[in-house]
Amino acid sequence: MSILSLQNVSKDYLSDGQRVEALKGLSLEADRGAFVALVGRSGCGKSTLLNLAGAMDFPTSGQVLVEGISTSSLNDAALTRLRREKVGFIFQSFQLLHTLTVFENVELPLLLAGEARAREAARERLEWVELKGLGDRYPHQLSGGQMQRVAIARALIHSPSLILADEPTGNLDTTTGNVILELLRRLTREQNTATILATHSLEAAALADRVARMRDGKIEEIVER
Amino acid sequence: MKNKLACFVAVVFSLHPAAAQYRTALPGYHYEFPRDHFNHPEFQTEWWYYTGNLKSTDGHRFGFELTFFRQAVSRDPAKTSAWDVKDIYLAHLALSDLDGSKFYHAERTNRSGPGIAGVDETRGRIWNGNWQIIWRNEAQELQAIDEQFQLHLALRSEKPPVVHGEDGVSEKAAGAGHASHYISLTRIHTSGFVELGEKKFEVTGTSWMDHEFFTHQLTADQTGWDWLSLQLEDNTELMLFHIRRRDGSIDPYSAGTFVDAQGKTTHLRASDFVLMPLRKTWKSPSTGAVYPIAWKLAIPRLGLELEVKTPLESQELTGKAKLTPNYWEGAIILTGQRNGQAAAGVGYLEMTGYDHAVRLAR
Amino acid sequence: MSRLLLFYRLMARPLLREPVRAGLTVLAVALGVAVVLAIDLAGDAATGSFRSSMETLAGDNDLEIATSGGVPENLVGTLASLPYSIRISPRIEDFAVIAGTRKSLPLIGLDLVSEGSGSSRMDSGTAAETPFPKTLEEGFENSGGFDGIWVGASLGFKAGDRVPLLINDQVHDYVIRGAYPDSNGNESAIVMDIATAQQALTRYGRVDRILLKVQKTASLDEWQQRLRSALPAGVELRPQGTGTNENRRMLAAFRWNLRLLSYVSLVVGAFLIYNTISVSVVRRRAEIGIVRALGASRGVILSAFAGEAACFGIAGALIALPLGRFMATVAVKLMAATVESLYVSSRPGPIELGVGSVFLALGIGVGVAVASAYSPAREASLVSPVEAMGKGRREYDVRVQKGRVLWLASGLSLAAAAASRGNAIAGKPLFGYLAAILLVVASALATPAVVDALLTVSSKMLGKIFGVEALLASRSLAGSLRRTSVLVGALSTAIAMMTAVGIMVGSFRETVAVWMSDQLPADLYLRPAGSAAADRHPTISLGLAEKIAKLPGVMAVDRLRAYEISYENMPATLLSVDVDVLRSHHNSDFFSGRSKEEVLGELRDSNVVLVSEPFAYKHNVKRGNSITLALGGGRDSFRVADVYYDYSSERGNILMDRQTLLRYLPDAAPSNLAIYVSPESNLDAVRYEIEQTAAGQRVLLFSNRDLRGEAIRIFDRTFAITYALEAVAVLVAVMGIAGALLALVIDRRRELGLLHFLGAAKNQIRKLILVEAGLLGLLANTAGLMLGFALSLVLIFVINKQSFGWTIRFHWPVEILLAAITIVYVATVLAGLYPAQVAVQLNPIEVIHEE
Repeated sequence: MSILSLQNVSKDYLSDGQRVEALKGLSLEADRGAFVALVGRSGCGKSTLLNLAGAMDFPTSGQVLVEGISTSSLNDAALTRLRREKVGFIFQSFQLLHTLTVFENVELPLLLAGEARAREAARERLEWVELKGLGDRYPHQLSGGQMQRVAIARALIHSPSLILADEPTGNLDTTTGNVILELLRRLTREQNTATILATHSLEAAALADRVARMRDGKIEEIVER
Repeated sequence: MKNKLACFVAVVFSLHPAAAQYRTALPGYHYEFPRDHFNHPEFQTEWWYYTGNLKSTDGHRFGFELTFFRQAVSRDPAKTSAWDVKDIYLAHLALSDLDGSKFYHAERTNRSGPGIAGVDETRGRIWNGNWQIIWRNEAQELQAIDEQFQLHLALRSEKPPVVHGEDGVSEKAAGAGHASHYISLTRIHTSGFVELGEKKFEVTGTSWMDHEFFTHQLTADQTGWDWLSLQLEDNTELMLFHIRRRDGSIDPYSAGTFVDAQGKTTHLRASDFVLMPLRKTWKSPSTGAVYPIAWKLAIPRLGLELEVKTPLESQELTGKAKLTPNYWEGAIILTGQRNGQAAAGVGYLEMTGYDHAVRLAR
Repeated sequence: MSRLLLFYRLMARPLLREPVRAGLTVLAVALGVAVVLAIDLAGDAATGSFRSSMETLAGDNDLEIATSGGVPENLVGTLASLPYSIRISPRIEDFAVIAGTRKSLPLIGLDLVSEGSGSSRMDSGTAAETPFPKTLEEGFENSGGFDGIWVGASLGFKAGDRVPLLINDQVHDYVIRGAYPDSNGNESAIVMDIATAQQALTRYGRVDRILLKVQKTASLDEWQQRLRSALPAGVELRPQGTGTNENRRMLAAFRWNLRLLSYVSLVVGAFLIYNTISVSVVRRRAEIGIVRALGASRGVILSAFAGEAACFGIAGALIALPLGRFMATVAVKLMAATVESLYVSSRPGPIELGVGSVFLALGIGVGVAVASAYSPAREASLVSPVEAMGKGRREYDVRVQKGRVLWLASGLSLAAAAASRGNAIAGKPLFGYLAAILLVVASALATPAVVDALLTVSSKMLGKIFGVEALLASRSLAGSLRRTSVLVGALSTAIAMMTAVGIMVGSFRETVAVWMSDQLPADLYLRPAGSAAADRHPTISLGLAEKIAKLPGVMAVDRLRAYEISYENMPATLLSVDVDVLRSHHNSDFFSGRSKEEVLGELRDSNVVLVSEPFAYKHNVKRGNSITLALGGGRDSFRVADVYYDYSSERGNILMDRQTLLRYLPDAAPSNLAIYVSPESNLDAVRYEIEQTAAGQRVLLFSNRDLRGEAIRIFDRTFAITYALEAVAVLVAVMGIAGALLALVIDRRRELGLLHFLGAAKNQIRKLILVEAGLLGLLANTAGLMLGFALSLVLIFVINKQSFGWTIRFHWPVEILLAAITIVYVATVLAGLYPAQVAVQLNPIEVIHEE
């Protein structure tokens, strides 16, 4: 069974009273251990696709299935549970909370899910992203690369089956970016997640198992490697 | 017979339900002086009345009038406050600036209260606020303070008191009690000063005092009266009054008194004298009343014929109170002859009931 | 013009985009200004334009003659005989109650013969202004005497109506003879002839006042000299209305304190303006940088933000005008009640919203707004053009230099402590106010450090107890420390004032309660049903006290008599008591600490008095001093044996033996009776006997407990307005919290959106905001309680003492404080509801991807 399955998904939204078609009948599958890159220019629908995949938004038509369950069929509580258990997000600008320590940032998804024993898991994940010993620092005391690693640790804390990364290297220099991409690849293998990476950089996409080239809300071609 | 204010208070207080029994003026009253110069609370109405003609050292002529009225309201002994209204005291004050052709007058109404107005025999005082008479043995001091003028006069009577009428009563109408006890000092030597505005005049002259007390003396068909006090240069005096009836006739109870130079009195009945208004009249701009301000009088018994004129036409007193009658009371000049000899003098004339009939009903 | 356009685009438009928040700020300013305005207007109406009820129908006189206990009436005759043209109007002045309606009206006895004759005693030209009866005859014609009364037309009676009047302890029917117009300055009153009034009040031999109108030929001073020689030493000859002025002076302190209290809301409002402008500056740093880069000077930036604040000020002031006018109608009632029960009988004048009020509102609205915006506006003007290029937003907070600020705060607190030792200046506790202000400033300075410390502790503890939302909330608050501190400062100031006043009033109440149990030892108290107040003392018919004393079961009766007097140009109350009764039954406390036997023994039938604490304080009188009193036409000297505690009236009391006072003022009628029932008798039975004895007289009989309850009820009514003022201050603060949380939500929308992505449920977001509100409330309550405690000490021991001269014993009014704080806390949390809803409805996708 696919971890993520998009079946003929379309998404329209209103922007300043104008109907905009962000996705136009698009289909995509991702299994465990798959590292899929979505490549395309800004506005081609990558982010919209990620939002649908993370159950933050719903398709206008078609279906989004996460571990076989259609997101459109779920109520608010079930959606929240889905995000808590199955999805990890990584963002371009890291989106760490500046008032929280590294530990606390990483723990956050578990704490939001009501799990008490989060510190051990956080320590483990930080070790995994090679930031051992930095847990008590605050985000502003870290470099960009370190911040994105914290974000990755946070995305992994609840052992999700689906990792959604939106331009994770956009705010990083090339070298650091490559390290982060390598880390994503590694986590896909070792954690056995389905990882969807949205990027406008072909260079970045080159690291993926499968590259889906997007344009104007459609997948133009899928290249398996 | 200056009872214009008395009429007013009589009218007003006759409405008062608690009218007590008062003594009426009956013949045979025994007069005793100085006792009878003062208060007679057993009579309902009483007044003291001073008029006079004065002349300053530089020849400026004045007439003055100061009257004190007492009208009994209640004799209820249960009342305990000094403010209880046992009597109402009214007073009129007037100054006729005969050479300045101005007439000033004022009135005041008070209860006796805690020493505000009254008559005090032991202290020889008759007063209403700071208008007062103080007896010192035979002499009197007259003081009256007004915003515009002040009188400070020393009075010394040159003759003993005169009791008018017959057998101690001056009858005003038919029936017992329609009369008053009526005393006059007919020739009072007067000196002192008159303050008028900023000016102070040293004056001398002759005054007249009337003092009358009674209970209900007039009747309903009497509509007004004319009264004169005359002081002739031959040291004789004359008092005359004239009651006018509703039908225009002269009441037969009109009367008078002649005082000779020695102070001996002659009672004059209505048939003894003729008192006639002349053509000259003065119309009051404030009340519209037309007063005959020149008179002719004749007393054949005494061989006396006089013309009465006034140096100041406007000597009308107008009351602020609605029922206070308006009346003319002023200084007069007399010319004429007595038994062929030229006669002259001064006096005071009072005329009431010319704007409307004086209300006497009760 | 172009500047205005720029101002509109850059400053006004962003405000309009957040109508709720802008609205809340404006409303907070409006409330603050409205309260100040309301208290000012109401103060004017209730005290400022204070005109004694007794000036009703007093006309345009020049001088008045008065003395303690009334002027001997024969003075009227003496004056009337003086060779001066003066108008003399003697008056009896008291109060009557229209039985049935309980409407209390001034009762004025005039010499209607003289006044009503249209020609008053002395002058003929300018007839008395008294409009009734128009003529003497009119009076007589429809009266047939002097037993009628005349009333103000607005009471709606017709001539001929019979009206039962309760005067002292008697009810009699009076016939209305006529009405006089009472619209233009003349209060509705009951007018009777002076004789009738003396009889109704059984007050013979004296009048209360003699008014004099003199001629303009000499100055008032010359007239006073001329007339003085005709008067006995003990009566006072003074310009008419001096009593009114004395009362005005007495009311000034009361008004002054209320006015200051009204500024608390404004201070709270100032905090909020500061916060709003700070938020505005921080949000627009980049914008400011761009505008600066495009050539705007620092001055332009400074004036732009000052202008923004001024807009809030103007808008607030405009709303405040009608709001303040409305609040004034409520305030005037509360103030009038206080004035009536504590000071003097009066009726508030009309509330007049004049040009002055408009300027006041605009002045303080704009003034406070611009002043409190100055600091953030200056900060804005210091933004360098380079920052326009800086990416992202700079964090809101500048690290606070905690150490230095804490030292400063401690220094200010010490200064406050020093200031609280200062003496009153011109009767006003200016140093006390300074101390209070220093404390508030010190607290504002210390707030960030305290908040930071508390939040550090709380984030650990709260996270454990209340979960991740509490952790996030306290971290977020700590993260924007400056903003949080301002909010906590605003709310805590309001809470502090509430606490301080609450503690003071509570302490006062407790002190009074304890005092009453000493001061009111009798079993039953009897007073006439007639209109009573701080300055009115109706009397009980003679003989009743003696009859009651003879009843079986009655052990003793203390006859208390009270007079209103003037001492050194201030109103005071003169009391006489049966010293022997007091000695055997009373537990008084004296300043000297001596026993009551010793102190009261000195009083017996000798020229020795006791004075109450407010009197001693006001007139700086100590034990052993002599005071001179003008009594009943004479003047005499009295030695002060001691000072006693008294909380019954702020006017100040002088207390002497009944026999002593009777020598000066022979009116033997008592104002109150304190009845001691022998222990072996049944109280209810004795009470019944007393009621039977007093049948036919309108008296009120109180048990000890009733009387205390009544006293406490009056006490509470007196302080109603202070509670109302505090409530508004707290309301302003809570509104500020709502507005600030809204701003916080908007500024943190990205973070809130992120939480959605990280698996937060909607109610977790809501809870987060509510916890923040709760934390703010908690912090503010903590800081407010601490500050409030300190302020209460200043209030009780400095400001109250110096304003009113009362010794208040400190007491924690635990229940009231708990209740008040709970209410505030709940209100604060409720203030978070709307911002929480806004937070929940944020679209996480939009906010997270907006860059």
